Amino acid sequence: MTTLEVRDLTKTFHRHRAVGGVSFTLTAGRTVALVGESGSGKSTIARMIARLVRPTSGEITLTGPDGEPVPSRRYRDHVQMIFQDPFASLNPFHTVEHHLARPLLLHGRTRAEVPHLLERVSLTPDFARRRPHELSGGQRQRVAIARALAPGATVIVADEPVSMLDVSIRLGVLKLLDRLQREEDLAVLYITHDLATAQHFSDEVLVMHRGRIVERGPGDDVLLRPQHPYTRQLAAAAPDPETRFLQGGPS
Amino acid sequence: MTWSGKLGAGLGLAGLIVLFGLLGPLLTGDPATIRDIGLTSPGGDHLLGTTIIGQDVLAQLTHATRGSLWIGVLVGVMATVLSGIFGIVGAYAGGVVDEAFSLFSNVMLVIPGLPLVIVIAGFVPADQRGTWTISLVLAITGWAAAARVLRAQTLSLRNRDYVAAARVSGEKTWRVICVEILPNLLPILASQFVFAVVLAILSEAGLSFLGLGAADSSTLGTMLYYAQNGFALQRDAWWWFVPPGLIIALFGGALSLINFSIDEIINPALRERPRRRRDVVATTPAVADEDAVLTVTNLNVVYQGAAPVHAVKDVSLTLRRGEILGLAGESGCGKTTLAYAINRLHRPPAEVTSGSVVFDGVDVLALGPEELRAFRWVRLSMVFQGAMNSLNPVTPIRAQLQDVLRTHRPSMSTSDREARCVEVLRLVGVDPARLGSYPHELSGGMRQRVMIAMALLLEPQVMIMDEPTTALDVLVQREILNEIKRLRDELRFAVVFITHDLPLLLELSDRIAVMRDGEVVEYAPAEEIYLRPQHPYTRQLLGSFPSLTGERGALIR
Repeated sequence: MTTLEVRDLTKTFHRHRAVGGVSFTLTAGRTVALVGESGSGKSTIARMIARLVRPTSGEITLTGPDGEPVPSRRYRDHVQMIFQDPFASLNPFHTVEHHLARPLLLHGRTRAEVPHLLERVSLTPDFARRRPHELSGGQRQRVAIARALAPGATVIVADEPVSMLDVSIRLGVLKLLDRLQREEDLAVLYITHDLATAQHFSDEVLVMHRGRIVERGPGDDVLLRPQHPYTRQLAAAAPDPETRFLQGGPS
Repeated sequence: MTWSGKLGAGLGLAGLIVLFGLLGPLLTGDPATIRDIGLTSPGGDHLLGTTIIGQDVLAQLTHATRGSLWIGVLVGVMATVLSGIFGIVGAYAGGVVDEAFSLFSNVMLVIPGLPLVIVIAGFVPADQRGTWTISLVLAITGWAAAARVLRAQTLSLRNRDYVAAARVSGEKTWRVICVEILPNLLPILASQFVFAVVLAILSEAGLSFLGLGAADSSTLGTMLYYAQNGFALQRDAWWWFVPPGLIIALFGGALSLINFSIDEIINPALRERPRRRRDVVATTPAVADEDAVLTVTNLNVVYQGAAPVHAVKDVSLTLRRGEILGLAGESGCGKTTLAYAINRLHRPPAEVTSGSVVFDGVDVLALGPEELRAFRWVRLSMVFQGAMNSLNPVTPIRAQLQDVLRTHRPSMSTSDREARCVEVLRLVGVDPARLGSYPHELSGGMRQRVMIAMALLLEPQVMIMDEPTTALDVLVQREILNEIKRLRDELRFAVVFITHDLPLLLELSDRIAVMRDGEVVEYAPAEEIYLRPQHPYTRQLLGSFPSLTGERGALIR
């Protein structure tokens, strides 16, 4: 079973500690949500796992489905990332086909798999010919998800995958990720600032504050019965029409 | 891409000159043939006359054009390659390489070009000054400015997510540069190339005119040099120096036109925009609702263009005193256009085609420029989308707040102004000691509060807030929402709060208008919207926000 273990991960930028001593494990078939505000260090963790940023100290070890550690040069076959802004993460110059064919070819597959990839993210094969500006935000993010799946990845890091999308299509994209996670037995790290979707779409929630994990546990426990003062603050800050209209709270 | 007149004219003219240079020499005779007819004016055998030693000017012109174009292309290619290496590779590599490349470009940039060219060209013995040598010298002195532009653009491109995505998928560095970054630099490279060609042809003409040009070639510059030495001007032999001068000017003009068109392709905002036509001035009779402070009736806003976009369709809204009106909708639904039109901030091609905006009995759409100035911000202020980034970064908060007072309340004394600034900052919960701070010294939440303070300065009756908290974290958003509610209760102003976040509006507002594709599809008190939503789109929006207290997995099935 594929597992990605993060042990005591630390990143320091110019003496500023962005991430300090973070440990957690991603396992196939489970979604872990990493919740925090901007500047809490959650995107830095995503970029370290995707090998875009080198950790100052700590270890990231990947164990393949066969139980053997995955060698460094095969790391990217297994670990892929979905970026926050689908308007920035697709190259405006290239077609959808290019975005999917390149990772396929780089990881020993063939261009012929492009239509199948598009189907997996609920797009029709004729999308291959289009360029990013011809797609809506939700369609772009589906293409970005397909690109992450292309190398045959088993670990997906999704960095705020829906925060740049219109609200009415966010759930659709999250449901797609959730379906893929269950059907293809992926290990998913879902990074978000939105407590509600973190609770709904994950098996475990990690709350980050100033580069550290201040609280962790099953979603319902962490967000409905928060222990740490920061988590309590976060949970209380979310807009809440229910109190106003259903429980006769102050209007 | 639309085929603009500039591009057509530029390409046509440049094409003609290139054809003239390419085919001309095949059709005309030997330019060096000396005839004993001396200086003859145009006509007969010699369409453009002859030089002082009887050489055919037309034949010379075709060969000279070919020579100049050849040097232009050589220099254009070399300078573009040099600027590409130093600009793109340096910026992508980063670190020491970038520092060194950038330092070198800057040094090359401050060395004055033409004097250096004259020194270098003068230093090379005349018999070794071939076309290639001159081109190389011109390229070496001409690439640095382009390198700076390319570096800046590459620095911005290399931080794009699609470059990171290519790296994550395992692309090699050279492929990332050539396949992901380079195509996006093409318009700039093309524009830089065209500019380098023009500059090279002009510089070479200058050099040759000074007698420092290539010895082995004939160019437009050498033609001018011989015309000068043959006293063409004094002998009124215009046919000798006007044609080469004209070709240089026309070619330069043609390439400049092409360059303008490339700029317009890179930056569509440069394209000619339609002038503002008169918006409708439709005054409706007095408003029925006594308590209304702002009434929008059947407002239509259209973005005029080849395909007009009807951004706001027949919108009618009423804002009562002290009310918070929520305007909910997704990107492109017209909510920001509506807010701008209410404030008369819409710019062409946007145009109010029908409807009215009545503020406290005054028709806003009919206000003259001076009345509008007295109305905006004084009676109706606005907090813009991404407002926290719209503070001026180089002046302290104090100056920016006082500017508003100085403009609208010129009679106010200095101490009163200061007192008012302190007062509004207290109102929004920012320590007045921060008045001396610069925007970058404040957090995003604090900057947003300062913007709200600025909107409060003149005690407006209505404040329009366009996504004021979207870029902020939930904790800060919570503080600002509480602040708005408190201020509304204390100061009794009315608020139009625009956002895509329906739960936020449900908690905050008295009434909510849901917009979609320019239309208000539902307009009701917040409680009605929450408990009894009528329109399917409202229900869809409500269903898009999972509740924190709901069952896990309730959404998935």
